[in-house]
Amino acid sequence: MSITPTRRQFLKTTALTFGAPTFIPASALGRDGHVAPSNRIVLGAIGIGPRGRKVLSCFLKEKDVQFVAIADAQENRRETVRRMAMRAYDTEDCKKYSDMNEMLERDDIDATLICTGDRWHALASMRAAKAGKDIYCEKPCSMTIRESQELADTINRYDRVFQAGTQRRNVDNFRFACQLAAGGKLGTVEKVHAGILSLREDFSWLPEEPLPSTDEIDWDAWLGPSPWRPYNKKYTQGRWRGYYDFNGGATLPEWGAHTIDLCQWAAGADGTVPVEYEADGDTIHATYQNGVKLVMRLAGFKGEGDWVVPGTCPVRFEGDEGWVEAADSGEIKSNPASLVKDFPEGGLSGTDPSKHVREFLDCVKSRKKPAANADVTRYGHIVSHAASIAWRLGRKVRFDPATETFIDDAEANHMISRSRRAGWTA
Amino acid sequence: MSSTPIKDEASQLAILNSSASDHDKAVACQMLVYVAGPKSIPALVPLLESEKLAAYARSVLEAIDDPAASKALLDALPELQGRPLAGVVDSLGVRREKEAIPALQKLASGEAKDGQPEAIASLGMIGTPDAAAALEVILTQGPEPSQTAAGHAAIVAAEHLSREGHAEEAKRLSRGLIKLFPNGPIHVAAVKLETAPQ
Repeated sequence: MSITPTRRQFLKTTALTFGAPTFIPASALGRDGHVAPSNRIVLGAIGIGPRGRKVLSCFLKEKDVQFVAIADAQENRRETVRRMAMRAYDTEDCKKYSDMNEMLERDDIDATLICTGDRWHALASMRAAKAGKDIYCEKPCSMTIRESQELADTINRYDRVFQAGTQRRNVDNFRFACQLAAGGKLGTVEKVHAGILSLREDFSWLPEEPLPSTDEIDWDAWLGPSPWRPYNKKYTQGRWRGYYDFNGGATLPEWGAHTIDLCQWAAGADGTVPVEYEADGDTIHATYQNGVKLVMRLAGFKGEGDWVVPGTCPVRFEGDEGWVEAADSGEIKSNPASLVKDFPEGGLSGTDPSKHVREFLDCVKSRKKPAANADVTRYGHIVSHAASIAWRLGRKVRFDPATETFIDDAEANHMISRSRRAGWTA
Repeated sequence: MSSTPIKDEASQLAILNSSASDHDKAVACQMLVYVAGPKSIPALVPLLESEKLAAYARSVLEAIDDPAASKALLDALPELQGRPLAGVVDSLGVRREKEAIPALQKLASGEAKDGQPEAIASLGMIGTPDAAAALEVILTQGPEPSQTAAGHAAIVAAEHLSREGHAEEAKRLSRGLIKLFPNGPIHVAAVKLETAPQ
């Protein structure tokens, strides 16, 4: 990888400067089945809450990863993660940072895991890319169409490996379904269905509470690029979802980042987006230039919606010779049933990121693009945001995939971007 | 669930021009984004100096497709400092406002104590030959870390130049960056630009 020499130089320099440690664990020397330090991917994490800990635990299980640093605006989260690292490695080496930039300045860090709230995903990823780090970033990766563009452009500009946390691209039943559709096994694909949550935008503010010390929670940093609002602890405990300032795309990208992304793959549309979008209540109909229909329709945690396969984040692909459906239960069904007869049971749940993490690490080493790279993420997220704008406006909007703007539609184009709060730009 | 109805420009401006709460004014800006035109500008300008509401107002001003919005941002510059100044500088970059280049060049040189990193980044976003020339001054004469910030901004500027009919200037800029930054992310990006097919 391009930055490995720097990392090795760092190890060499620090050894010379500070002398050899008095005790060198076998793992550090690469014995006992461990990977020697010079061959490990050194990882730092930014913004680790419950989902972040799930993803981080997958990284910690990988022998070629050395997790060394956590940056978070909240001390309790920093400390929780430091203890995770301590348990995993039996060392005190994980360093805590309240400022992600300080962590990103470290030359020895190769890759970053970004699991902040949505408001920070693109900006933190872009900062990491500018610092020469590879990035695994939780979804949704952008707040707006403009951020989707900026993120992909920045990743490509600095030649970084980027994996969006849309792990279903590496979950067997979803992959199988996408490959059936994209491989022509359903005949000509005519319609693809993406399960989404009920759309909502909350413009309210929670009541103001006294600010904690910045050592405990740095509210200014927590808000980051979002516009100012008064502090309330609930936001920092995960209750930020649904608020317009913190959840882009009227929450449509929440599941859409996964399910629309899979539909794009199934429809052979990874490098483009639909050209028309129209909302009918919570269902949004979109049409690609080639006439393929994308239906974004209600699913939910309690089996909402008319889906054949149980589980969250369902997708359905229909061709002129059959259909296939998959969801987080790990199940897959098709018509004709013979299409999935060879699919093995007992695969990963759709929420399990372990294979996705492994693919990212392999790509950090090989410099290949992973399944959920910056380009597919750009287009999948643009679809989510464009669809939410159609819902917001309550009418049909037309989109030009070449210019990535709405056609003759000032209202819609005004929603392509949002300002970042001063002091928190890229 | 249906979306919140979008109200007309006049009703949002009435809120902005009243003694409404910060929250009501913030939401008025968020509704105004869809429908704002030049008539909205006078009600937005006073919010630019508010640390609390400036980002809401800037979202609207950045969206208004009329040169009057850029002029309002530019006119506000001398009146502002601290974060409000930095925010307006960022908005001028987002709008790629060429008229702002001289003012941004001064801020980028560190003449004022605020807005320097944002001014450097905005010159990159504007990305004209004049903006690139301003960045080259910082690259060759500015102190660290301004040079690094200018390096990142110059990459963005070179991309604009390359796309917008100034391929030679783009190549010259990227060659200079390769020399100035013999390794690291800016070097990687400059080499990519230098070797990209036209």
